[in-house]
Amino acid sequence: MSESTEKSSQNAYVSMKDVGHRYDPNPDAPMAVQDINLDIHRHEFVAVVGPSGCGKSTLLRMVAGLLIPSHGEVSVFNRPVTEPRDDVGIVFQKPNLLPWLTVKKNVLFPLKHKYGRVSPEDIKRADELLAMTGLSAFAEKMPDELSGGMQQRVGIVRALLLNPDILLMDEPFSALDALTREQIGFDLLDIWRDHPKTVLFITHSISEAVLLADRILVMSKRPGSVLDLIDVGLPRPRSPETINSARFSELTNIIRGHIYEPNVHA
Amino acid sequence: MSQTSTPKNACLQWFGKQGYRFAPAIFFISLIIVWELGCTLGHVPQYILPSPSSIVHAFFNVEFSRWMTHLWATLRVALMGFGLSILISLPLSIAMIRSELLNRTLYPMLIVIQSTPVVAVAPLIIVLMGTGDPSRVLITCLITFFPMVVSTTTGMLETPPELIELSKSLRAPRYRETWQIRIPYAIPHIFSGLRISITLAIIGAVVAEFVAAEQGLGYFIQFSTSFFKIPQAFAGLIFLSAISLLLFKSVQWIQMWLFPWSLPKKK
Repeated sequence: MSESTEKSSQNAYVSMKDVGHRYDPNPDAPMAVQDINLDIHRHEFVAVVGPSGCGKSTLLRMVAGLLIPSHGEVSVFNRPVTEPRDDVGIVFQKPNLLPWLTVKKNVLFPLKHKYGRVSPEDIKRADELLAMTGLSAFAEKMPDELSGGMQQRVGIVRALLLNPDILLMDEPFSALDALTREQIGFDLLDIWRDHPKTVLFITHSISEAVLLADRILVMSKRPGSVLDLIDVGLPRPRSPETINSARFSELTNIIRGHIYEPNVHA
Repeated sequence: MSQTSTPKNACLQWFGKQGYRFAPAIFFISLIIVWELGCTLGHVPQYILPSPSSIVHAFFNVEFSRWMTHLWATLRVALMGFGLSILISLPLSIAMIRSELLNRTLYPMLIVIQSTPVVAVAPLIIVLMGTGDPSRVLITCLITFFPMVVSTTTGMLETPPELIELSKSLRAPRYRETWQIRIPYAIPHIFSGLRISITLAIIGAVVAEFVAAEQGLGYFIQFSTSFFKIPQAFAGLIFLSAISLLLFKSVQWIQMWLFPWSLPKKK
Protein backbone atom coordinates (compact mmCIF):
# COMPACT_ATOMS: atom_id res chain seq x y z
CA MET A 1 0.00 0.00 0.00
CA SER A 2 1.42 3.39 -0.93
CA GLU A 3 2.05 5.99 1.69
CA SER A 4 -0.70 8.31 0.51
CA THR A 5 -3.47 5.72 0.66
CA GLU A 6 -2.24 4.63 4.08
CA LYS A 7 -2.60 8.19 5.27
CA SER A 8 -6.04 8.69 3.79
CA SER A 9 -7.40 5.52 5.33
CA GLN A 10 -6.17 6.70 8.71
CA ASN A 11 -8.06 9.91 8.26
CA ALA A 12 -11.13 8.01 7.26
CA TYR A 13 -13.58 7.56 10.06
CA VAL A 14 -16.13 5.43 8.34
CA SER A 15 -14.60 3.43 5.56
CA MET A 16 -16.18 1.15 2.95
CA LYS A 17 -13.90 -1.02 0.88
CA ASP A 18 -15.28 -2.84 -2.17
CA VAL A 19 -18.53 -3.21 -0.32
CA GLY A 20 -21.33 -5.16 -1.95
CA HIS A 21 -24.33 -7.00 -0.72
CA ARG A 22 -26.58 -9.72 -2.03
CA TYR A 23 -29.61 -10.53 0.11
CA ASP A 24 -30.13 -13.89 -1.54
CA PRO A 25 -27.21 -16.26 -0.75
CA ASN A 26 -27.53 -17.80 -4.24
CA PRO A 27 -24.47 -16.52 -6.19
CA ASP A 28 -26.55 -15.95 -9.34
CA ALA A 29 -28.95 -13.63 -7.53
CA PRO A 30 -28.57 -9.92 -8.29
CA MET A 31 -26.56 -7.70 -5.97
CA ALA A 32 -28.40 -4.97 -4.06
CA VAL A 33 -25.27 -2.80 -3.99
CA GLN A 34 -21.80 -3.42 -5.37
CA ASP A 35 -18.28 -1.97 -5.52
CA ILE A 36 -18.86 0.79 -3.04
CA ASN A 37 -15.68 2.54 -1.98
CA LEU A 38 -16.15 5.49 0.31
CA ASP A 39 -14.17 7.08 3.09
CA ILE A 40 -16.07 9.44 5.34
CA HIS A 41 -14.01 11.75 7.52
CA ARG A 42 -14.81 12.40 11.10
CA HIS A 43 -17.61 14.97 11.50
CA GLU A 44 -18.20 15.10 7.79
CA PHE A 45 -21.72 15.40 6.39
CA VAL A 46 -22.17 12.99 3.50
CA ALA A 47 -25.42 12.71 1.58
CA VAL A 48 -26.37 9.75 -0.57
CA VAL A 49 -28.73 10.27 -3.50
CA GLY A 50 -29.94 7.82 -6.08
CA PRO A 51 -33.09 6.37 -7.62
CA SER A 52 -35.54 4.34 -5.56
CA GLY A 53 -34.38 0.84 -4.76
CA CYS A 54 -30.72 1.53 -5.51
CA GLY A 55 -29.63 0.21 -2.13
CA LYS A 56 -29.18 3.50 -0.27
CA SER A 57 -30.84 2.08 2.82
CA THR A 58 -28.77 -1.10 2.50
CA LEU A 59 -25.68 1.07 2.72
CA LEU A 60 -26.98 2.78 5.84
CA ARG A 61 -27.83 -0.51 7.52
CA MET A 62 -24.34 -1.79 6.85
CA VAL A 63 -22.78 1.21 8.58
CA ALA A 64 -25.25 0.74 11.44
CA GLY A 65 -24.07 -2.84 11.85
CA LEU A 66 -27.62 -4.09 11.30
CA LEU A 67 -26.50 -5.79 8.13
CA ILE A 68 -23.12 -7.39 7.47
CA PRO A 69 -22.11 -7.00 3.81
CA SER A 70 -21.66 -10.19 1.85
CA HIS A 71 -18.71 -8.61 0.00
CA GLY A 72 -16.00 -6.21 1.17
CA GLU A 73 -15.78 -4.54 4.53
CA VAL A 74 -17.24 -1.59 6.40
CA SER A 75 -15.03 -0.28 9.17
CA VAL A 76 -15.16 2.52 11.68
CA PHE A 77 -11.78 3.78 12.91
CA ASN A 78 -10.10 0.87 11.16
CA ARG A 79 -12.17 -1.69 13.05
CA PRO A 80 -14.56 -3.77 11.00
CA VAL A 81 -18.24 -3.38 11.86
CA THR A 82 -19.54 -6.78 12.93
CA GLU A 83 -22.47 -5.81 15.14
CA PRO A 84 -24.50 -2.68 15.99
CA ARG A 85 -22.32 -0.02 17.58
CA ASP A 86 -23.05 2.12 20.62
CA ASP A 87 -21.87 5.33 18.95
CA VAL A 88 -24.47 5.26 16.17
CA GLY A 89 -27.81 7.08 16.19
CA ILE A 90 -30.46 6.33 13.58
CA VAL A 91 -33.27 8.56 12.32
CA PHE A 92 -35.87 6.84 10.15
CA GLN A 93 -38.14 8.08 7.39
CA LYS A 94 -41.10 8.02 9.75
CA PRO A 95 -40.59 9.37 13.27
CA ASN A 96 -41.63 5.98 14.72
CA LEU A 97 -42.28 7.42 18.14
CA LEU A 98 -43.96 5.18 20.68
CA PRO A 99 -47.58 6.39 20.95
CA TRP A 100 -47.91 5.40 24.62
CA LEU A 101 -44.99 7.52 25.82
CA THR A 102 -44.73 11.29 26.24
CA VAL A 103 -42.26 13.18 24.08
CA LYS A 104 -39.69 13.22 26.87
CA LYS A 105 -40.06 9.51 27.58
CA ASN A 106 -39.73 8.85 23.86
CA VAL A 107 -36.47 10.76 23.87
CA LEU A 108 -35.27 8.75 26.86
CA PHE A 109 -36.47 5.48 25.34
CA PRO A 110 -33.12 4.30 23.87
CA LEU A 111 -31.52 4.39 27.34
CA LYS A 112 -34.51 2.81 29.03
CA HIS A 113 -34.52 0.15 26.33
CA LYS A 114 -30.80 -0.55 26.40
CA TYR A 115 -30.15 -0.45 30.13
CA GLY A 116 -33.63 -0.81 31.65
CA ARG A 117 -33.39 2.44 33.61
CA VAL A 118 -32.61 6.14 33.26
CA SER A 119 -30.57 8.26 35.66
CA PRO A 120 -31.30 11.86 36.72
CA GLU A 121 -28.35 12.93 34.50
CA ASP A 122 -30.02 11.24 31.52
CA ILE A 123 -33.22 13.14 32.22
CA LYS A 124 -31.23 16.35 32.43
CA ARG A 125 -29.62 15.57 29.09
CA ALA A 126 -33.02 14.88 27.52
CA ASP A 127 -34.26 18.23 28.85
CA GLU A 128 -31.24 19.99 27.36
CA LEU A 129 -31.70 18.34 23.99
CA LEU A 130 -35.38 19.25 23.97
CA ALA A 131 -34.53 22.83 24.87
CA MET A 132 -31.89 22.95 22.14
CA THR A 133 -34.44 21.93 19.51
CA GLY A 134 -37.18 24.19 20.88
CA LEU A 135 -39.30 21.28 22.04
CA SER A 136 -39.32 21.99 25.80
CA ALA A 137 -42.94 23.08 25.75
CA PHE A 138 -43.93 19.73 24.24
CA ALA A 139 -41.98 17.50 26.64
CA GLU A 140 -45.06 16.17 28.41
CA LYS A 141 -47.25 15.94 25.29
CA MET A 142 -48.14 12.71 23.57
CA PRO A 143 -46.69 12.19 20.06
CA ASP A 144 -50.07 12.37 18.32
CA GLU A 145 -50.54 15.90 19.65
CA LEU A 146 -47.54 17.04 17.57
CA SER A 147 -47.30 17.90 13.88
CA GLY A 148 -45.29 15.66 11.56
CA GLY A 149 -42.34 18.05 11.58
CA MET A 150 -42.34 18.23 15.38
CA GLN A 151 -42.52 14.44 15.61
CA GLN A 152 -39.51 14.08 13.35
CA ARG A 153 -37.62 16.62 15.47
CA VAL A 154 -38.33 14.37 18.45
CA GLY A 155 -37.05 11.45 16.36
CA ILE A 156 -33.78 13.34 15.79
CA VAL A 157 -33.47 14.25 19.47
CA ARG A 158 -34.02 10.59 20.36
CA ALA A 159 -31.14 9.62 18.06
CA LEU A 160 -28.92 12.24 19.72
CA LEU A 161 -29.59 11.05 23.27
CA LEU A 162 -26.74 8.56 23.42
CA ASN A 163 -24.47 11.30 22.02
CA PRO A 164 -23.52 9.23 18.98
CA ASP A 165 -20.46 10.07 16.93
CA ILE A 166 -22.20 8.80 13.82
CA LEU A 167 -25.69 9.91 12.84
CA LEU A 168 -27.42 7.81 10.20
CA MET A 169 -30.47 9.36 8.59
CA ASP A 170 -32.66 7.34 6.25
CA GLU A 171 -34.71 9.83 4.20
CA PRO A 172 -35.62 11.57 7.44
CA PHE A 173 -37.58 14.47 5.95
CA SER A 174 -39.27 12.82 2.99
CA ALA A 175 -42.64 12.56 4.75
CA LEU A 176 -42.74 16.29 5.50
CA ASP A 177 -44.15 19.16 3.47
CA ALA A 178 -41.68 21.33 1.53
CA LEU A 179 -41.61 24.30 3.92
CA THR A 180 -41.19 22.20 7.06
CA ARG A 181 -38.61 20.17 5.24
CA GLU A 182 -36.40 23.15 4.48
CA GLN A 183 -36.69 24.54 7.99
CA ILE A 184 -35.89 21.24 9.71
CA GLY A 185 -32.90 20.84 7.38
CA PHE A 186 -31.42 24.13 8.58
CA ASP A 187 -32.20 23.14 12.17
CA LEU A 188 -30.26 19.94 11.60
CA LEU A 189 -27.28 21.96 10.32
CA ASP A 190 -27.40 24.11 13.47
CA ILE A 191 -27.34 21.02 15.68
CA TRP A 192 -24.53 19.53 13.62
CA ARG A 193 -22.49 22.77 13.86
CA ASP A 194 -22.84 22.91 17.66
CA HIS A 195 -22.43 19.16 18.20
CA PRO A 196 -20.26 17.89 15.35
CA LYS A 197 -21.06 14.39 14.19
CA THR A 198 -20.30 12.20 11.25
CA VAL A 199 -23.54 12.22 9.27
CA LEU A 200 -24.64 9.81 6.58
CA PHE A 201 -27.79 11.32 5.14
CA ILE A 202 -29.89 9.40 2.65
CA THR A 203 -32.32 11.37 0.54
CA HIS A 204 -34.34 11.39 -2.64
CA SER A 205 -34.04 15.12 -2.93
CA ILE A 206 -31.10 16.43 -4.94
CA SER A 207 -31.48 19.99 -3.67
CA GLU A 208 -31.67 18.80 -0.07
CA ALA A 209 -28.43 16.86 -0.53
CA VAL A 210 -26.65 19.89 -2.03
CA LEU A 211 -28.01 22.22 0.62
CA LEU A 212 -26.91 20.11 3.58
CA ALA A 213 -23.90 18.00 2.69
CA ASP A 214 -20.12 18.39 2.42
CA ARG A 215 -19.95 15.59 -0.11
CA ILE A 216 -22.58 13.75 -2.10
CA LEU A 217 -22.43 10.13 -3.15
CA VAL A 218 -24.51 9.63 -6.28
CA MET A 219 -25.62 6.04 -6.76
CA SER A 220 -26.75 4.24 -9.89
CA LYS A 221 -29.94 2.24 -10.07
CA ARG A 222 -29.96 -1.33 -8.86
CA PRO A 223 -27.45 -2.91 -8.36
CA GLY A 224 -26.40 0.32 -6.69
CA SER A 225 -22.84 1.44 -7.30
CA VAL A 226 -21.04 4.75 -7.11
CA LEU A 227 -21.68 7.03 -10.11
CA ASP A 228 -19.95 10.02 -8.66
CA LEU A 229 -18.67 11.49 -5.45
CA ILE A 230 -19.11 15.23 -5.47
CA ASP A 231 -17.44 17.85 -3.29
CA VAL A 232 -20.12 20.43 -2.61
CA GLY A 233 -17.79 23.20 -1.51
CA LEU A 234 -20.57 25.66 -0.75
CA PRO A 235 -19.68 27.99 2.12
CA ARG A 236 -21.19 27.44 5.55
CA PRO A 237 -23.36 28.44 7.28
CA ARG A 238 -25.82 27.57 4.55
CA SER A 239 -29.04 29.54 4.36
CA PRO A 240 -31.96 30.00 1.96
CA GLU A 241 -29.55 32.33 0.08
CA THR A 242 -27.39 29.31 -0.74
CA ILE A 243 -30.13 28.04 -3.03
CA ASN A 244 -29.77 31.14 -5.24
CA SER A 245 -26.04 30.72 -5.79
CA ALA A 246 -24.70 29.65 -9.16
CA ARG A 247 -22.75 26.77 -7.61
CA PHE A 248 -25.97 25.36 -6.15
CA SER A 249 -27.73 25.10 -9.51
CA GLU A 250 -24.54 23.85 -11.16
CA LEU A 251 -24.32 20.99 -8.65
CA THR A 252 -27.99 20.04 -8.81
CA ASN A 253 -27.70 19.94 -12.61
CA ILE A 254 -24.67 17.66 -12.47
CA ILE A 255 -26.43 15.26 -10.13
CA ARG A 256 -29.63 15.36 -12.13
CA GLY A 257 -27.59 14.51 -15.21
CA HIS A 258 -26.12 11.48 -13.47
CA ILE A 259 -29.46 10.18 -12.36
CA TYR A 260 -31.36 10.69 -15.61
CA GLU A 261 -28.58 9.70 -18.03
CA PRO A 262 -26.44 7.26 -16.12
CA ASN A 263 -24.95 5.74 -19.30
CA VAL A 264 -23.29 8.97 -20.34
CA HIS A 265 -21.27 9.09 -17.15
CA ALA A 266 -20.87 5.44 -16.29
CA MET B 1 -79.47 24.84 -0.45
CA SER B 2 -79.27 28.22 1.28
CA GLN B 3 -77.32 28.51 4.50
CA THR B 4 -79.72 31.00 6.15
CA SER B 5 -80.85 29.89 9.54
CA THR B 6 -84.44 31.00 9.98
CA PRO B 7 -86.09 29.95 13.25
CA LYS B 8 -88.00 27.27 11.37
CA ASN B 9 -84.81 25.89 9.85
CA ALA B 10 -83.05 25.92 13.22
CA CYS B 11 -85.96 24.05 14.76
CA LEU B 12 -85.86 21.39 12.05
CA GLN B 13 -82.12 21.15 12.44
CA TRP B 14 -82.50 20.61 16.18
CA PHE B 15 -84.99 17.81 15.62
CA GLY B 16 -82.78 16.27 13.00
CA LYS B 17 -79.82 16.30 15.37
CA GLN B 18 -81.75 14.85 18.30
CA GLY B 19 -83.33 12.27 16.02
CA TYR B 20 -79.89 11.17 14.89
CA ARG B 21 -78.65 11.04 18.45
CA PHE B 22 -81.51 8.99 19.83
CA ALA B 23 -82.19 6.90 16.72
CA PRO B 24 -81.00 3.61 18.31
CA ALA B 25 -83.09 4.16 21.44
CA ILE B 26 -86.17 5.19 19.44
CA PHE B 27 -85.84 2.14 17.22
CA PHE B 28 -85.41 -0.15 20.23
CA ILE B 29 -88.40 1.27 22.10
CA SER B 30 -90.59 1.12 18.99
CA LEU B 31 -89.65 -2.51 18.54
CA ILE B 32 -90.76 -3.32 22.09
CA ILE B 33 -94.03 -1.45 21.62
CA VAL B 34 -94.75 -3.34 18.39
CA TRP B 35 -93.90 -6.61 20.15
CA GLU B 36 -96.19 -5.79 23.08
CA LEU B 37 -99.08 -4.70 20.86
CA GLY B 38 -98.59 -7.68 18.56
CA CYS B 39 -98.78 -10.12 21.47
CA THR B 40 -101.85 -8.57 23.14
CA LEU B 41 -103.84 -7.67 20.03
CA GLY B 42 -102.90 -10.87 18.20
CA HIS B 43 -103.67 -13.09 21.23
CA VAL B 44 -100.33 -14.86 20.84
CA PRO B 45 -100.11 -17.60 23.49
CA GLN B 46 -97.40 -16.98 26.11
CA TYR B 47 -95.67 -20.29 25.43
CA ILE B 48 -95.06 -19.23 21.83
CA LEU B 49 -93.99 -15.62 22.33
CA PRO B 50 -94.46 -13.91 25.69
CA SER B 51 -95.14 -10.17 25.65
CA PRO B 52 -92.51 -7.78 27.07
CA SER B 53 -94.77 -6.95 30.00
CA SER B 54 -95.15 -10.61 30.97
CA ILE B 55 -91.36 -11.01 30.74
CA VAL B 56 -90.85 -8.07 33.11
CA HIS B 57 -93.47 -9.56 35.38
CA ALA B 58 -91.73 -12.93 35.35
CA PHE B 59 -88.42 -11.28 36.09
CA PHE B 60 -89.73 -9.71 39.31
CA ASN B 61 -91.51 -12.92 40.28
CA VAL B 62 -88.16 -14.62 40.76
CA GLU B 63 -86.50 -13.73 44.04
CA PHE B 64 -83.51 -11.43 43.82
CA SER B 65 -81.30 -13.85 45.77
CA ARG B 66 -82.12 -16.61 43.28
CA TRP B 67 -81.10 -14.38 40.39
CA MET B 68 -77.88 -13.60 42.20
CA THR B 69 -77.10 -17.27 42.82
CA HIS B 70 -77.56 -18.11 39.15
CA LEU B 71 -75.74 -15.00 38.00
CA TRP B 72 -72.78 -15.74 40.25
CA ALA B 73 -72.57 -19.34 39.04
CA THR B 74 -72.39 -18.24 35.39
CA LEU B 75 -70.21 -15.20 35.96
CA ARG B 76 -67.73 -17.18 38.06
CA VAL B 77 -67.21 -19.78 35.35
CA ALA B 78 -67.11 -17.19 32.55
CA LEU B 79 -64.54 -15.00 34.30
CA MET B 80 -62.37 -17.93 35.39
CA GLY B 81 -62.38 -19.33 31.85
CA PHE B 82 -61.65 -15.88 30.45
CA GLY B 83 -58.83 -15.33 32.94
CA LEU B 84 -57.36 -18.74 32.22
CA SER B 85 -57.41 -18.10 28.49
CA ILE B 86 -55.59 -14.77 29.03
CA LEU B 87 -52.99 -16.61 31.11
CA ILE B 88 -52.54 -19.15 28.33
CA SER B 89 -52.83 -17.01 25.23
CA LEU B 90 -50.44 -14.20 26.16
CA PRO B 91 -47.36 -16.38 26.85
CA LEU B 92 -48.32 -18.59 23.91
CA SER B 93 -48.46 -15.60 21.55
CA ILE B 94 -45.12 -14.29 22.80
CA ALA B 95 -43.55 -17.71 22.35
CA MET B 96 -44.96 -18.02 18.85
CA ILE B 97 -43.66 -14.57 17.87
CA ARG B 98 -40.21 -15.28 19.20
CA SER B 99 -39.78 -18.72 17.75
CA GLU B 100 -40.58 -19.56 14.15
CA LEU B 101 -40.32 -23.25 15.06
CA LEU B 102 -42.93 -22.98 17.82
CA ASN B 103 -45.17 -20.96 15.53
CA ARG B 104 -44.90 -23.65 12.85
CA THR B 105 -45.49 -26.42 15.35
CA LEU B 106 -48.34 -24.95 17.38
CA TYR B 107 -50.38 -23.01 14.84
CA PRO B 108 -51.92 -26.03 13.09
CA MET B 109 -52.85 -27.44 16.51
CA LEU B 110 -54.60 -24.19 17.41
CA ILE B 111 -56.55 -24.29 14.17
CA VAL B 112 -57.60 -27.86 14.93
CA ILE B 113 -58.82 -26.85 18.39
CA GLN B 114 -60.63 -23.83 16.97
CA SER B 115 -62.29 -25.89 14.22
CA THR B 116 -63.64 -28.45 16.66
CA PRO B 117 -67.14 -27.42 17.76
CA VAL B 118 -66.75 -26.95 21.50
CA VAL B 119 -70.46 -27.67 22.00
CA ALA B 120 -69.81 -31.17 20.72
CA VAL B 121 -66.75 -31.65 22.88
CA ALA B 122 -68.40 -30.34 26.04
CA PRO B 123 -70.12 -33.63 27.00
CA LEU B 124 -66.80 -35.45 26.61
CA ILE B 125 -65.05 -32.96 28.86
CA ILE B 126 -67.77 -33.42 31.48
CA VAL B 127 -67.31 -37.20 31.31
CA LEU B 128 -63.54 -36.81 31.65
CA MET B 129 -63.41 -34.16 34.34
CA GLY B 130 -66.68 -34.45 36.21
CA THR B 131 -69.49 -31.97 36.63
CA GLY B 132 -67.61 -29.43 38.74
CA ASP B 133 -66.32 -25.96 37.93
CA PRO B 134 -63.03 -27.17 36.38
CA SER B 135 -64.72 -28.80 33.39
CA ARG B 136 -66.95 -25.75 32.82
CA VAL B 137 -63.95 -23.43 33.07
CA LEU B 138 -62.07 -25.57 30.55
CA ILE B 139 -64.99 -25.46 28.10
CA THR B 140 -65.12 -21.66 28.42
CA CYS B 141 -61.38 -21.40 27.99
CA LEU B 142 -61.44 -23.51 24.81
CA ILE B 143 -64.01 -21.17 23.26
CA THR B 144 -62.27 -17.95 24.27
CA PHE B 145 -58.56 -18.38 23.78
CA PHE B 146 -58.26 -18.57 20.00
CA PRO B 147 -59.37 -14.99 19.17
CA MET B 148 -56.97 -13.77 21.82
CA VAL B 149 -53.99 -15.66 20.42
CA VAL B 150 -54.78 -14.45 16.91
CA SER B 151 -55.24 -10.81 17.89
CA THR B 152 -52.17 -10.73 20.14
CA THR B 153 -49.87 -12.27 17.54
CA THR B 154 -51.29 -10.04 14.79
CA GLY B 155 -50.70 -6.97 16.94
CA MET B 156 -47.14 -7.96 17.83
CA LEU B 157 -46.34 -8.62 14.16
CA GLU B 158 -47.61 -5.20 13.15
CA THR B 159 -44.90 -3.42 15.11
CA PRO B 160 -43.06 -1.09 12.69
CA PRO B 161 -39.89 -2.88 11.52
CA GLU B 162 -37.89 0.31 12.13
CA LEU B 163 -38.56 0.05 15.86
CA ILE B 164 -37.29 -3.52 15.86
CA GLU B 165 -34.19 -2.22 14.05
CA LEU B 166 -33.87 0.51 16.66
CA SER B 167 -33.96 -2.16 19.34
CA LYS B 168 -31.36 -4.22 17.49
CA SER B 169 -29.11 -1.22 16.92
CA LEU B 170 -29.18 -0.61 20.68
CA ARG B 171 -28.37 -4.27 21.29
CA ALA B 172 -31.13 -4.33 23.88
CA PRO B 173 -32.07 -7.66 25.46
CA ARG B 174 -34.77 -9.50 23.54
CA TYR B 175 -37.25 -9.50 26.43
CA ARG B 176 -37.25 -5.71 26.41
CA GLU B 177 -38.01 -5.72 22.69
CA THR B 178 -41.04 -7.85 23.59
CA TRP B 179 -42.18 -5.90 26.65
CA GLN B 180 -41.29 -2.34 25.71
CA ILE B 181 -42.11 -2.43 22.00
CA ARG B 182 -44.07 -5.41 20.73
CA ILE B 183 -46.62 -5.90 23.50
CA PRO B 184 -47.56 -2.22 23.87
CA TYR B 185 -47.92 -2.06 20.08
CA ALA B 186 -50.28 -5.03 20.28
CA ILE B 187 -52.52 -3.41 22.94
CA PRO B 188 -55.24 -2.20 20.53
CA HIS B 189 -55.34 -5.67 18.95
CA ILE B 190 -55.23 -7.44 22.32
CA PHE B 191 -58.24 -5.44 23.44
CA SER B 192 -60.27 -6.20 20.35
CA GLY B 193 -59.48 -9.85 21.08
CA LEU B 194 -60.57 -9.39 24.70
CA ARG B 195 -63.86 -7.81 23.62
CA ILE B 196 -64.66 -10.77 21.41
CA SER B 197 -63.53 -13.26 24.03
CA ILE B 198 -65.48 -11.84 26.95
CA THR B 199 -68.81 -12.39 25.15
CA LEU B 200 -67.61 -15.82 24.03
CA ALA B 201 -66.83 -16.57 27.68
CA ILE B 202 -70.50 -16.14 28.58
CA ILE B 203 -71.43 -18.42 25.69
CA GLY B 204 -68.91 -20.98 26.92
CA ALA B 205 -70.27 -20.92 30.46
CA VAL B 206 -73.85 -21.33 29.19
CA VAL B 207 -72.88 -24.22 26.91
CA ALA B 208 -71.26 -25.94 29.89
CA GLU B 209 -74.40 -25.40 31.99
CA PHE B 210 -76.57 -26.88 29.25
CA VAL B 211 -74.53 -30.06 29.47
CA ALA B 212 -74.32 -30.42 33.24
CA ALA B 213 -75.18 -27.95 35.98
CA GLU B 214 -77.51 -27.30 38.88
CA GLN B 215 -76.97 -23.55 38.86
CA GLY B 216 -76.34 -20.67 36.50
CA LEU B 217 -78.37 -18.57 34.09
CA GLY B 218 -78.00 -21.11 31.28
CA TYR B 219 -79.30 -23.81 33.55
CA PHE B 220 -82.08 -21.46 34.67
CA ILE B 221 -83.23 -20.87 31.08
CA GLN B 222 -83.17 -24.58 30.25
CA PHE B 223 -85.00 -25.44 33.46
CA SER B 224 -87.65 -22.74 32.89
CA THR B 225 -88.24 -23.91 29.32
CA SER B 226 -88.69 -27.51 30.35
CA PHE B 227 -91.47 -26.39 32.71
CA PHE B 228 -93.03 -24.23 29.99
CA LYS B 229 -92.30 -21.09 31.99
CA ILE B 230 -91.49 -19.26 28.76
CA PRO B 231 -91.71 -15.66 30.10
CA GLN B 232 -89.28 -16.68 32.86
CA ALA B 233 -86.92 -18.22 30.30
CA PHE B 234 -87.05 -14.98 28.32
CA ALA B 235 -86.35 -13.01 31.49
CA GLY B 236 -83.27 -15.18 32.08
CA LEU B 237 -82.16 -14.73 28.49
CA ILE B 238 -82.46 -10.96 28.62
CA PHE B 239 -80.64 -10.85 31.94
CA LEU B 240 -77.86 -12.93 30.42
CA SER B 241 -77.56 -10.63 27.40
CA ALA B 242 -77.46 -7.60 29.69
CA ILE B 243 -74.61 -9.12 31.68
CA SER B 244 -72.77 -10.02 28.51
CA LEU B 245 -73.16 -6.44 27.24
CA LEU B 246 -71.96 -5.06 30.57
CA LEU B 247 -68.85 -7.24 30.44
CA PHE B 248 -68.17 -6.12 26.86
CA LYS B 249 -68.46 -2.50 27.95
CA SER B 250 -66.23 -3.15 30.98
CA VAL B 251 -63.43 -4.32 28.71
CA GLN B 252 -63.78 -1.04 26.80
CA TRP B 253 -63.76 0.95 30.02
CA ILE B 254 -60.62 -0.81 31.21
CA GLN B 255 -58.94 0.01 27.90
CA MET B 256 -60.02 3.66 28.18
CA TRP B 257 -58.78 3.81 31.75
CA LEU B 258 -55.43 2.04 31.39
CA PHE B 259 -54.48 2.68 27.76
CA PRO B 260 -56.20 5.86 26.55
CA TRP B 261 -53.58 6.28 23.80
CA SER B 262 -54.61 2.98 22.22
CA LEU B 263 -58.10 4.13 21.28
CA PRO B 264 -58.86 5.31 17.77
CA LYS B 265 -58.54 9.09 17.53
CA LYS B 266 -61.75 11.10 17.39
CA LYS B 267 -61.63 13.58 14.55
